Amino acid sequence: MIKDLLHSAPSLLNFGIFFGLAVLLLFVVLGFVTYGILSERKIMGFMQMRIGPNQIGGKWGLLQTVADVLKLLIKEDTIPKKADKPLYILAPVIAFAPAFMVLATLPFTDAFQFADIGVGLLYYMAISGISTIGIVTAGWASNNKYSLIGGMRAAAQMISYEIPLVMSLVGIVLITGSLNLNDIVAAQEKVWFIFLQPVAFIVFFIASVAELNRVPFDLPEAESELVAGYHVEYSGFRWAFFMLSEYVYMFAMATLTTVLFLGGWNSIPYLDFIPAAIWFGLKFSAVFYILVWIRVTFPRIRADQLMEFGWKVLLPVALANIFLTALIKELINLF
Amino acid sequence: MSLSGELIAFIGLALVAIVGGVLLITLTKVVHMVIALVFTFLGIAGIYMLLSAEFVAIVQILIYSGAITIVMLFGIMLTKHQENDAPAKGGWGNFSLLAAIAGFAVAVYLGIYNLDIPVQPTALHEENTKQIGIELFQNM
Repeated sequence: MIKDLLHSAPSLLNFGIFFGLAVLLLFVVLGFVTYGILSERKIMGFMQMRIGPNQIGGKWGLLQTVADVLKLLIKEDTIPKKADKPLYILAPVIAFAPAFMVLATLPFTDAFQFADIGVGLLYYMAISGISTIGIVTAGWASNNKYSLIGGMRAAAQMISYEIPLVMSLVGIVLITGSLNLNDIVAAQEKVWFIFLQPVAFIVFFIASVAELNRVPFDLPEAESELVAGYHVEYSGFRWAFFMLSEYVYMFAMATLTTVLFLGGWNSIPYLDFIPAAIWFGLKFSAVFYILVWIRVTFPRIRADQLMEFGWKVLLPVALANIFLTALIKELINLF
Repeated sequence: MSLSGELIAFIGLALVAIVGGVLLITLTKVVHMVIALVFTFLGIAGIYMLLSAEFVAIVQILIYSGAITIVMLFGIMLTKHQENDAPAKGGWGNFSLLAAIAGFAVAVYLGIYNLDIPVQPTALHEENTKQIGIELFQNM
């Protein structure tokens, strides 16, 4: 349906349809974030042998996040007197807008996708980098030492972990011969890339956790050192925007991991009577669960260890993986 | 020239790029300038995208988003964080400047408006990542 729309003549109606679909996606993602946060808290509770949210909305606390968001909405919106006002207001927007933009190219199933551009993989990497500018801006505009240190750390971390993240994917691009996410999924119809590129998967997964600023790598907002890092001074809905962008990135990164390494919507052999959307959902949920699992079990690493690990371990391993993949592809022609 | 979606998109992106450029010159704080620069680069990347040069557009964002972050950090670390606005210059200098800019604009408009570039049908916009790769690694 989308394919026909994309090839039809541009009109106001088309614009309306796409706008409506984008708004729909926004609400789907907001719904995911609401229940993603709840499930994260529940899983954390289960792993730390406590109950987790269980008061609001029945036995499972189903309305807990809704109540939290409502609280954020009616909270006082504070802007510190010495803050740089225009940038303080602009920063959450710069941080959030790219998070939603990256969702445009992600193929959820063969029918459910918004834009099918040739460089989809690079598009994700490029656009997600813009968020860091928002984070650094927030850190600077708050006029607070903790914020500034958090913003600086976010910048350093993004620069050093984006390189292994992209490099680990070059192997996949070599095998597929395309940067298009649909082609990458199509190439995994028989074997998933997690089996062809296990080293790349490990590097990618570690780097993606670092890009998400989640727990072993959450130095930009380390609560025990920096109070809350770059968003110390933010409150109410502006703070909610930072949190929202973080969870939308988590959604996008889990989707990307599924698409790149777990075969996207492809099914396991002999089980292809189950619809593509359910396969996608299952794999996506597994990746999400592992992300939460990592958050609960790992201690935060030190800033210098973070840099050393990124440059001295992940990058050489990713480069070696590229070299090996190219060698095998050329010499043995296995793939 | 009729009002098509492409034209509207071009006008929007061009406005973002130009306003970003003007703000880059007129703002006084370094960090504000860097943010204006971000908008210029994003606007230009959008124009590349309109011209079907998707690879160039994405690489522009990929390279510059990292580069801008670094520029911003240097701006924060190497400049003084104190406000001392230079007083704005007034008087006849501004008028002659405006006249010069207007004259330049008219000259460029006259030069460009009737320029006729012969258009040949090419296949450069199809799979341009692949074409750039082949051009770079096989023909050079």
